[in-house]
Amino acid sequence: MVRFTTAALAAALAVAFGIPSVTQVQAQVPQGYPADYSKIVDAAKKEGKVVVYSTTDSASANALIQDFRKLYPGVTVEYSDLNSTELYNRFIAEAASGSGTGDVTWSSAMDLQVKLAADGYALTYDSPEIPSLPKWAVFKNQAFGTTYEPITFVYNKRLVPAEDVPQSHADFVKLLNAKPDFYKGKITAYDPERSGVGYLFVNQDVANWPQAWDLFKAFGKESIKLYTSAGAMMERVTSGEHLVAYGIFGSYALSRSHKDPNLGIVMPKDYTLVTSRVASISSKAKNPNAAKLFLDYILSKRGQEIIANKAELYSLRSDVTGEATLKKVEELIGDKARPVPINADLLEALNQTKRLAFLKKWQAAMKGQ
Amino acid sequence: MRFGWYRFLVIAVAAVAVLAPLVLVFYQSFLDAPFFQPVTHFSLEAYSFILSESDFWDAFVTTLLIGAGMTAIAVPLGAILAFLIVRTDLPGRSWLEPVILVPIFVSAIVLAFGYVVALGPVGIFSIMVKSWIGVVPWNIYSLASIAIVAGLMHVPHVYLYTAAALRGLGTDLEEAARVIGANPWRVAIHVSLPMVMPAILFAAVLVFFLGFELFGIPLVLGDPQGILVLSTYLYKLTNLLGVPSYQLMAVVVVAIVVVTLPLIYLQRRLLRQSQRYVSMRGKGQRAAPLRLGNWRWPAFAFIALWFFVTVVLPIAGITLRSFVVTWGEGVKLTEVLTLDHYRALLNFPNIERGILNTLAIGTIGGAFAVVGYTLVALAIHRWNSGWVRFVDYIVMLPRAMPGIVAGLALLWVFLFFKPISPLRATLVSLWLAYTIVWFAYGMRLISGTLLQVAPELEEAARTVGASEARVMRDVSVPLIRYGMIASWLLIFLIFVREYSTGIYLLGPGTEVIGSLLVSLWGTGDVDLVSALSVINVAMIGIGLAIAVRLGVRLHA
Amino acid sequence: MPAEQRGLGLVFQSYALWPHRTVQDNVAYGLKLRGVAADEIKTRVAKALEQIGLGHLAARYPHQLSGGQQQRVALARALVYEPPVILLDEPLSNLDAKLREEARAWLRQLITSLGLSALCVTHDQVEAMALADRIILLNGGVVEQEGTPTELYTAPRSLFAAEFMGSNSQLNGTLASRQGGQAEIEVEGQRLRGVDRGSAAPGAAATGVIRLEAVRVDGASGGNGLTMTLATQMYLGERWEVVFTRGATTVRAYAHAPLAEGEHHVEFPPDALWIF
Repeated sequence: MVRFTTAALAAALAVAFGIPSVTQVQAQVPQGYPADYSKIVDAAKKEGKVVVYSTTDSASANALIQDFRKLYPGVTVEYSDLNSTELYNRFIAEAASGSGTGDVTWSSAMDLQVKLAADGYALTYDSPEIPSLPKWAVFKNQAFGTTYEPITFVYNKRLVPAEDVPQSHADFVKLLNAKPDFYKGKITAYDPERSGVGYLFVNQDVANWPQAWDLFKAFGKESIKLYTSAGAMMERVTSGEHLVAYGIFGSYALSRSHKDPNLGIVMPKDYTLVTSRVASISSKAKNPNAAKLFLDYILSKRGQEIIANKAELYSLRSDVTGEATLKKVEELIGDKARPVPINADLLEALNQTKRLAFLKKWQAAMKGQ
Repeated sequence: MRFGWYRFLVIAVAAVAVLAPLVLVFYQSFLDAPFFQPVTHFSLEAYSFILSESDFWDAFVTTLLIGAGMTAIAVPLGAILAFLIVRTDLPGRSWLEPVILVPIFVSAIVLAFGYVVALGPVGIFSIMVKSWIGVVPWNIYSLASIAIVAGLMHVPHVYLYTAAALRGLGTDLEEAARVIGANPWRVAIHVSLPMVMPAILFAAVLVFFLGFELFGIPLVLGDPQGILVLSTYLYKLTNLLGVPSYQLMAVVVVAIVVVTLPLIYLQRRLLRQSQRYVSMRGKGQRAAPLRLGNWRWPAFAFIALWFFVTVVLPIAGITLRSFVVTWGEGVKLTEVLTLDHYRALLNFPNIERGILNTLAIGTIGGAFAVVGYTLVALAIHRWNSGWVRFVDYIVMLPRAMPGIVAGLALLWVFLFFKPISPLRATLVSLWLAYTIVWFAYGMRLISGTLLQVAPELEEAARTVGASEARVMRDVSVPLIRYGMIASWLLIFLIFVREYSTGIYLLGPGTEVIGSLLVSLWGTGDVDLVSALSVINVAMIGIGLAIAVRLGVRLHA
Repeated sequence: MPAEQRGLGLVFQSYALWPHRTVQDNVAYGLKLRGVAADEIKTRVAKALEQIGLGHLAARYPHQLSGGQQQRVALARALVYEPPVILLDEPLSNLDAKLREEARAWLRQLITSLGLSALCVTHDQVEAMALADRIILLNGGVVEQEGTPTELYTAPRSLFAAEFMGSNSQLNGTLASRQGGQAEIEVEGQRLRGVDRGSAAPGAAATGVIRLEAVRVDGASGGNGLTMTLATQMYLGERWEVVFTRGATTVRAYAHAPLAEGEHHVEFPPDALWIF
């Protein structure tokens, strides 16, 4: 708050004394951006703040926010972390009421983000960063992928014999068939019925791998335990209550494994799903320019460096290096990465009839059928 | 005459505050799309969808089973505990009372997670037991375990009501039974407890009722086996169709309200009876405690065991978790000790603000809530009117909405009721949400103390010439001031642990510890969750310690 | 009319002193409500407390006072604003026996010396007679009899009134005759004469009532008595209470000295035996 006031004061002084503000502002236009970007920066400073609704917890996002402040001292970030359903509920209700809502929505629920865009809640914005992004990560210049998060297996290094560790989805099926007693009740995954990402993951598995249903049936026979949060799953894997978790965001697994040496991470070698946190600018944004700055910032190389190395959310830019990057993932699994494209296909997951039919099949698989 | 206006004004305000979110939810249940969308149609489809869902009926039956199970556990335990503490010479009964209430003040999610660490399949105590006898003889993820844990945690509710009723009884009946040779247990079961049966039954209905809004315990303990209760089914419902379907959630709330109304009716009947019983009390006789004799220490051990299982075990679990990197089978805890989680907490953004906000909403917000509850309690105080019944209903109704729906409905109210919209981004909205949801609890505290004011003290003031309003100001309120302070403390403890109601109203600057806990749990940062929980529990512990020190009579 | 507009003074059975206010404030409250100026309140409260003899305890809280003192404060509170009538609800019932007699005398004196109009509700006939100029005897909300204490005691108009006042013995029998204000009752095969107070026809069941102090047991026969057996006798200090029985009839009386065991003649003076 104090910082904001000083900045505003400085701006006011600049106007009052007729100091040409162009020189000052142009210094802030990031490299490679068009010169008229300074207009956005100016407008953003007038707006003074950007309201961000995000599913990324503020502890992870903190480094990003701090750095953004350094870059644009005149723009405060009001950051709310919510779970993806809450974010969606809150956003559409606030938008409908006409009162203030998030200027930027940034969520790991890719399907809901695309739905917001499709429903006209997202601003179309030709971000100067688009050329640096993979094609699959941009939807109508309205929804932008910001991360490159492999979906991994997480296992307990203490209790799972090294030779058991499944290196691919196919291995997983084999393992469960080979040692059904040892792993009975010891496998865990997101519940697609109760969790949006859970649904997304298994739905994408089916799209990418013909034997997916065999694996799910094997899960059913092994009485897999299904949860709604990654924390619950990893906690139970590290304690040995369960042994292997199927389908954990690589980002969560990575930061957890740094603290807890018991957790092992596998990126499956036959294919690895990659999801992305999707950011959009609200079409009802009260601070659209500040929102543009924030969006461009998290897509920029500078922002992505922090996403990769501080927040450990995996950068999706190929020019960023570090452990949590697209580059590193490609090093590990070559061309087996299967990013979930951000496009209208995701809306199919929200089709009520198809979804219920899919879940019915899933329920049958859980009974081993 | 002016006091009549006051009564109606207060009741109107309370009714609007309570009914606005509920009416919105009812309205939503008959629409085919979110009510705020430009095009919506009247539809009963949501009803036919839910009522034909087998999951809904499963969850419904499970909820009933858990409600019945926890009632069956909490009621006898709570009643016996009340008898021991109020009526006997049990060792340490003066400090035991606040201790008994602890489960009310600790967040259920925290306790439930503590149970996982302590008694889960690879929990610390489970492993210990396994090393002795070869197997873990319990499964905390079963329906029965959920009912038992919930039952143990609701013992304080039964205790509060039974203890209050027991205090109103003369001791001569018990002494008479003692004299003819009954041991303390027989006295309890044949004399004391039957005398306060209406109060016990009232508490039983309440506990059953609370079973409907149970969330934290089934969420954590029901997860692995996929056990659904109505409140967790709501959670599932938000995801089942991909896009949250408010009309479906609304239908579930309507279903809960429909079950709730007869329960409230039953409660009212029982309460009237219990007051009839209590009015038999003698004139201020100081009761000599019943001597337990040889039963003294076994009785104490019984309470200690309950406390150990209900409070010590889970809190020990969560505390231990906050100091280790990992745990479970094959882990030597001494090798994984760490303070990193607390260090990480220091660097956690907004943590001070979260703690400060939590304290502010507990202290300042709690005080205002007590004022609000007092205003309502005074409005219906010694009033013979059908409106009192109305207030009884609206007081209980907010509890019929599970936290996640209540939070959403309150967000809608703040968004679409323009005069209060500007308050949305402030702590005031959160305060209002908490105050509404804890209406029933707070009202019970205040009207309980008000009932203890002898009616002739108020009549005396009126014959001397004071109007009703003056009587309230000059006699009733000054006389309950200590009761109000005690209520304030209890509300503080509740507000400090609350979060689910406020989830949609929180924003930058208005974080509270509870909300930070939830968002961290979602992203899997259990390290921080446990450290933060320990801090939350510590805050509550300090609050309780102050209460005991100040000699606050927690039964108000 | 709401209680606060009746302008009465009321002294509660339990006194109902406000525990959070001092004696001074308790008494002053009625004046404060009437908008009396502060200094006048002070003098009037002081005067009222002086009248009840508690001027020195003004700063105390009710719980620091004895029961008798509390009762006086309650009275001061009721009379300080000079209501036309003071209602006393069982004013003495919460005091123990010894104190009660003192308080009774004090109360009577205060009421007469201040010229108060006081309405006192009580179940205690002795208290009623001691305090009152007029007694209204209510039975289930209906007036049974109204009059001076002497009238009620010496000339009760109904069985209820006769029984309520004083200590009595009852003689149950049948009405033998009634004539000119006199009646005869047949008890245990004997006819006894007495004052006719009833309206029953001869042959109907009747009850004779006589005050204990009117029964004579000195052996002298006035021709209106029964021979009865001494059942027991109790020493009361200044006299003895003796109990006689004959058949189903029990009669109590007072004697100045202990009586010998066995049969005695018990005399019921006709003007003191009321037959209902």
